[in-house]
Amino acid sequence: MATLTETRPSSGASFPQKKKQTKGQILVDWLTTTDHKKIGYLYLMTSFAYFLIGGVMALVIRAQLAAPGLDIVQTKEQYNQLFTMHGTIMLLMFATPLFAGFANVLMPVQIGAPDVAFPRLNAIAYWFYFFGSFVAVSGFFTPQGAASFGWFAYAPLSNTTFSPGIGGDLWVFGLALGGFGTILGGVNFITTILTMRAPGMTMFRMPIFTWNTLVTSILVIMAFPPLAAALFALGADRRLDAHIFDPANGGAMLWQHLFWFFGHPEVYILALPFFGIVSEIFPVFSRKPIFGYKTLVYATIAIAALSMTVWAHHMYVTGSVLLPFFAFTTMLIAVPTGVKIFNWIGTMWRGSITFENPMLWSLGFLTTFIFGGLTGVILASPALDYHLSDSYFVVAHFHYVVFGTVVFAMFAGFFFWWPKMTGKMLNERLGYIQFWLTFFGFHITFLIQHWLGVIGMPRRYATYLPEDGFTWMNMVSSLGSILLALSIIPFLWNVYITYRSAPKVTLDDPWGYGRSLEWATATPFPRHNFTSIPRIRSESPAFDLHHPDYAAPEAKAAAKK
Amino acid sequence: MKANYLLWILLTVFYALVTGGYHLWYFLTYGGWEPIGTSALAMLTFMSAFLAFYLWKTHRTQGVVPEDRLDANIEDGESELGFFSPWSWWPLYLGIACALVFASLAVGWWLTYFVVPLAIIGVVGYVFEHSRGQHAH
Amino acid sequence: MSTRFKWASIPLATTMVLLLSGCADQFARGFLPGEWGVTNHTDRITGLWTTAWIVLWLVGIIAWALMGWAILVYRRRKGETGMPAQLRYNNPIEVLFTVIPLILVIGFFAFTARDMAAIEKPTENPEVTIQVIAKQWSWDFNYVDANVFESGIQAQFEGQEGVPETLPTLYLPVNKTVKIDLSARDVIHSFWVIDFLYKKDMFPGKTNSMYFTPQKEGTYAGKCAELCGEYHSLMLFQVKVVSQTEYDSYLATLAAKGQTGQLDTTYDRNQNLPGDNPEIRG
Repeated sequence: MATLTETRPSSGASFPQKKKQTKGQILVDWLTTTDHKKIGYLYLMTSFAYFLIGGVMALVIRAQLAAPGLDIVQTKEQYNQLFTMHGTIMLLMFATPLFAGFANVLMPVQIGAPDVAFPRLNAIAYWFYFFGSFVAVSGFFTPQGAASFGWFAYAPLSNTTFSPGIGGDLWVFGLALGGFGTILGGVNFITTILTMRAPGMTMFRMPIFTWNTLVTSILVIMAFPPLAAALFALGADRRLDAHIFDPANGGAMLWQHLFWFFGHPEVYILALPFFGIVSEIFPVFSRKPIFGYKTLVYATIAIAALSMTVWAHHMYVTGSVLLPFFAFTTMLIAVPTGVKIFNWIGTMWRGSITFENPMLWSLGFLTTFIFGGLTGVILASPALDYHLSDSYFVVAHFHYVVFGTVVFAMFAGFFFWWPKMTGKMLNERLGYIQFWLTFFGFHITFLIQHWLGVIGMPRRYATYLPEDGFTWMNMVSSLGSILLALSIIPFLWNVYITYRSAPKVTLDDPWGYGRSLEWATATPFPRHNFTSIPRIRSESPAFDLHHPDYAAPEAKAAAKK
Repeated sequence: MKANYLLWILLTVFYALVTGGYHLWYFLTYGGWEPIGTSALAMLTFMSAFLAFYLWKTHRTQGVVPEDRLDANIEDGESELGFFSPWSWWPLYLGIACALVFASLAVGWWLTYFVVPLAIIGVVGYVFEHSRGQHAH
Repeated sequence: MSTRFKWASIPLATTMVLLLSGCADQFARGFLPGEWGVTNHTDRITGLWTTAWIVLWLVGIIAWALMGWAILVYRRRKGETGMPAQLRYNNPIEVLFTVIPLILVIGFFAFTARDMAAIEKPTENPEVTIQVIAKQWSWDFNYVDANVFESGIQAQFEGQEGVPETLPTLYLPVNKTVKIDLSARDVIHSFWVIDFLYKKDMFPGKTNSMYFTPQKEGTYAGKCAELCGEYHSLMLFQVKVVSQTEYDSYLATLAAKGQTGQLDTTYDRNQNLPGDNPEIRG
């Protein structure tokens, strides 16, 4: 029976061996867990499942667009459902919960805590996500289908006059519930980081991933409540005959402001945790500390603070926003983002780099994200955005930044932390095959979409005319998507054979140069994370412990004493 | 803790400046005000100020804690960290009940009448879980 | 060394030939659609686009080059032991890579602000005023000065060729100042003429305006650029910029067809006032 009150672990404690559990006991264990690691694994598994579902939708979309005038989907209404749910699933049911998954598994261990501040609330947040997502997606099982008004649900298209059908209502209320889950998760993470750090783990010794978790959680509590409010207002319009978003009352602009006030910070909520993941990986595989720790932290805070002030750059073509203000703040965000990119390069500079999978995937992220950032600066300018808004240029831009960040860094994080989570290492060879398939598949699919947008293909179009001149580019993009789909197969195979036959790993630090506290505890993680915690005198406590010759100056001084 | 409340004070000041700047710029360009953005930014300012104040108060009460000292050792921390619930059925139950409540807002009011009591039971059960049975005061 | 150069020179030469031949003009315009001087705004936008891309490519190439250099030069060699110097920060460099992007950004903002203001500036007394009202899923063109109108239906497209000629067409006289008022009958739409490098959203209950002077005769494709329902992809139109005489004779044909007067808000879908809503599923 697990202990009820937690005490700081002393060194050398041993725990009794667990008896083999029946399948029913295992199921109950997972359904009733309050262990942040198990909850994290639940988040990771569920969000990966949604990644596959959203991916299949993308494949259907690309099949439909491969040539003009195709009828892969029976009606254009169904096509609209496909891209609406693809966007909703990828952003709110894959990428955001993926952040919650990684943060749950890693952050308490990285700060030397035995669990999060509110373990049951943590579980509640997961179940709200799980069931809320199901409600939102269940529109597909209704006769009129799922929501089809685009993932930003602009009013008045999203009201009952123009989108009748229960799919829209389920979307609204399912997302509202899921949004509450995210908010509760964010609150939990902030509280844990502020109150449960181990002695000596000052704010400026926390790993960058933990800092990014903190800043992301702050963004969550700032951005998700307006979404919840807007969703309830839309729900009231749809179900209670309210007139909140009526066009006659300026409702169309009201919705856009509210939605994008959430929508823009949301994309930084998606990006920052994964910046944190690669910030953990670059130092380990360059065998050097992260370059410019303090500036990285300040840049992250700057990005988060600024991200709440740029929302109307999604509304440049509405003719009703203060263009110069938003152009200025949007362009400003490029500066701290650039600082981060140069800090990562600085970490590698004069390092001693090896290219195991975590590093390879992180480099794939960096390559891709640099380009996505450049196209973002172009879009920040209203004069250029007038032409590019709502075209495939925007689609290409956001896939570069979001896929480049979330997916590449997700796989980097999986390969990196798989031994800590499961006690086994994923197969390196399969990882390399998967990486190159993903890298080429991604760039073939999305690079050419920039050009498609420039020559005039709007987004959310179910088809296009032969005379438009879009055909060969769409064909290339669709072929790329097939490659991208194939790239998942090595990963699934990898997970399976690792589970079945990979050798167990018992080293605390299998990669050899781990820096943060998770590399100073057993593999896989003990139930309450640590049996003993090393002294913390820098941002790399595990590294200081395992490599005392290269430890940080304060750590060396403390060791002498 | 000090770094924490300083962070929130930084955010408060920043958002106050942005709110003022946005309103002023809009006013000079178009006359009048842009109610949605200005209100949202103002609320961000209040929220940041609120959290900054709370954390500052906490810092004043707590003083310097071991996790904020550069020279602390693990043994310096309190030996007892508190109670961590080992497992619980209430999160799953509450998740299902709330999902049914939210879905019923879409599906039909007849379902809402059935499931809201289930959700209330869930909230009460969750809050009082560890005040009952073997843990009762 | 020379063999490597030989292999590199072939693709290099090919690229140069392609660029310097027919594609030179396209390349100079940054591969934007259309041509120089389609409207009085397009050249300004083209200039901003090409300059922005030159600077951005430079920044990108520097970043990728640094990354590539690090990967090649700082890789761990076989048999290497020990670890590099554990450098944690370098203030001068960090200041540099904060300040330089800041300067670039401020510069870009200055040019953008100037160009934005010029594009959005209303014309005092436009020579031609058009009102375009969008509807699900086509366009109503009100020629305000001549008091005639034209109305369209969505593209009838099943995969066949020849649709562009059947699309609703807006006629404009070349080299005259034009003002287009934009609004919508139901949901949000967007008026995008691709070669004009400009779009503006059309809101129900609100009028947006765009001001420009078409400077080149020709036929230009137009598309709706805001999701508006099932047939969003078929909400297509054309703009024909013609000589003044041709424009006048076109307006005369509209009058002859009986399309005099202006289409108004009678057929707008959002007629709702509180208490006026149709019964919804309850």
